[in-house]
Amino acid sequence: MSIVELKGIYTAYEGGEKAVIKDLSLRVERGEYVVIGGPNSAGKTTLLESINGLIKITHGSASVCGLNVSSQADEVRRRVGYVIQNFYFDPFTPFTVEQVVMMGRFGRLGLMNRPGRADYDAAQRAISLVGIEDLAHKTIGTCSGGQQQKAMIAHNIAKEPEVMMLDEPFSNLDFVAREYLQGVFKRMVRTGVPILMVAHAFDGLPDIPIHLVVMNQGRISYDRNCRAEEVEGIIRKECGVSENARVADRK
Amino acid sequence: MLEWLIENNVVCHALEAMIFASIACSILGVIISRMRLSSIGFTMSHAAFAGAALGMFLGANTQMAAIAFSMAVAALIGPVSDKAKMAADATLGVLFAMSMAVAIFLISYMEYMGKGLSASSLLFGDVVSLYREEIYALAAVCGLTIIFVLAFYKEISALMFNMKIAEAAGVRVKLVYYILLFIIALSVALSLNIVGGLLIFVLLVTPASIAGQFCFNVRSMFIVAPTVALFVSAFGVWAGFEFTLPVAPLVALLLTGVFALSVMLSFKRRINTKIH
Repeated sequence: MSIVELKGIYTAYEGGEKAVIKDLSLRVERGEYVVIGGPNSAGKTTLLESINGLIKITHGSASVCGLNVSSQADEVRRRVGYVIQNFYFDPFTPFTVEQVVMMGRFGRLGLMNRPGRADYDAAQRAISLVGIEDLAHKTIGTCSGGQQQKAMIAHNIAKEPEVMMLDEPFSNLDFVAREYLQGVFKRMVRTGVPILMVAHAFDGLPDIPIHLVVMNQGRISYDRNCRAEEVEGIIRKECGVSENARVADRK
Repeated sequence: MLEWLIENNVVCHALEAMIFASIACSILGVIISRMRLSSIGFTMSHAAFAGAALGMFLGANTQMAAIAFSMAVAALIGPVSDKAKMAADATLGVLFAMSMAVAIFLISYMEYMGKGLSASSLLFGDVVSLYREEIYALAAVCGLTIIFVLAFYKEISALMFNMKIAEAAGVRVKLVYYILLFIIALSVALSLNIVGGLLIFVLLVTPASIAGQFCFNVRSMFIVAPTVALFVSAFGVWAGFEFTLPVAPLVALLLTGVFALSVMLSFKRRINTKIH
């Protein structure tokens, strides 16, 4: 059984006149590296939030880790890591990076249970893995955008998720950090944790088979495996942007 | 409880009530200030005010009516925000206006019917005419608030950090949020007779804002806010009775003064000009 299995799902926002996601089916297996691309407002973020039950699925069925997303959303969210796209922490936010990373474990722990040694160790491992040991005792609001993004990635790694979803996780990161974190995700994939990543920039993708999903107007227009270097070209083609435009862009 | 310390029963009751109300409200204030839900303070206080007016209108116990009405409003805030897909602050605004309308309507109607109603104790509080049962109830709510924070500390801190991130992490945000609303409703309704509907907001927001000027983490905010509230309230009660001044407004003014001082002295706001 696939770890993520969507069958003909529809998602609509309240008051919206059209479904944001229409008749979408997708299967993701353990250890897959899934890149979700497509133009703005194609429904990429909505797809991720439908998978972990943050947005209600109006039709169709979705199962994640063998759980029904519609009826077991809380349990699904405990098992799925999700790095959200937009966040802002004001400078007076009274939490350190270490505390924020630790919060990634809170869902797994269940109501009222206190974190134990294993939870603190998992948080420390995530901090080391992402390479933010020097920020651990800094308050998150005083970190730069890139540092906050790394902290949120560590927050989700600390959770030890069965599926990892990332919504434009590199938007504030320099190329060194991007390549380093791609290496981290590649290692996660090798341990069997599938990565589902919404992205607009595709440099530094790991040299492993990529399961590419291209979305257009709430539907999947491309759903196949490809090589990392083919990703951008396929997305451009699916979105109707010529290869010449890419070359011009690069220039 | 403090009779061994203070002989005068009225002063003793006022001090006890003010201590319990200030501890409960300031702890809850730390949570709601951080969640940007400060307006919950005046929505709840006006709900309690409307409930008390309804109790008077129906000839029922005003305190019980205040509690019932605030609980009903607390029960509405979460589901209405979810259903209407509105920010909680907008829902609070709607419910605040509704509560105020109910209170004014009933008070005006009773005046028109010649029943006469003094709303001043509900608006400004009346610390000199408190019953022992009210103080016991306040002590219980104060205890409940402390137990709630200790039991759900992990969930509360996740909510205070970011509600969406907490939800995505699998924290049961709605359950904790709804319990929080009910405890706020209970604390505010029971504190209505002490500081009044108009001043309860000060107890909810000001101690948390003072703590925010100095504290770098949530744990210290949960300690500093009630400690400041407790000392300022106790001093306010003493000064009020000693110099025959209205206690509740005096406490409110003292807390505001401490807040102004804390903003001036806050080392969190200081910029080190020696750095080159």
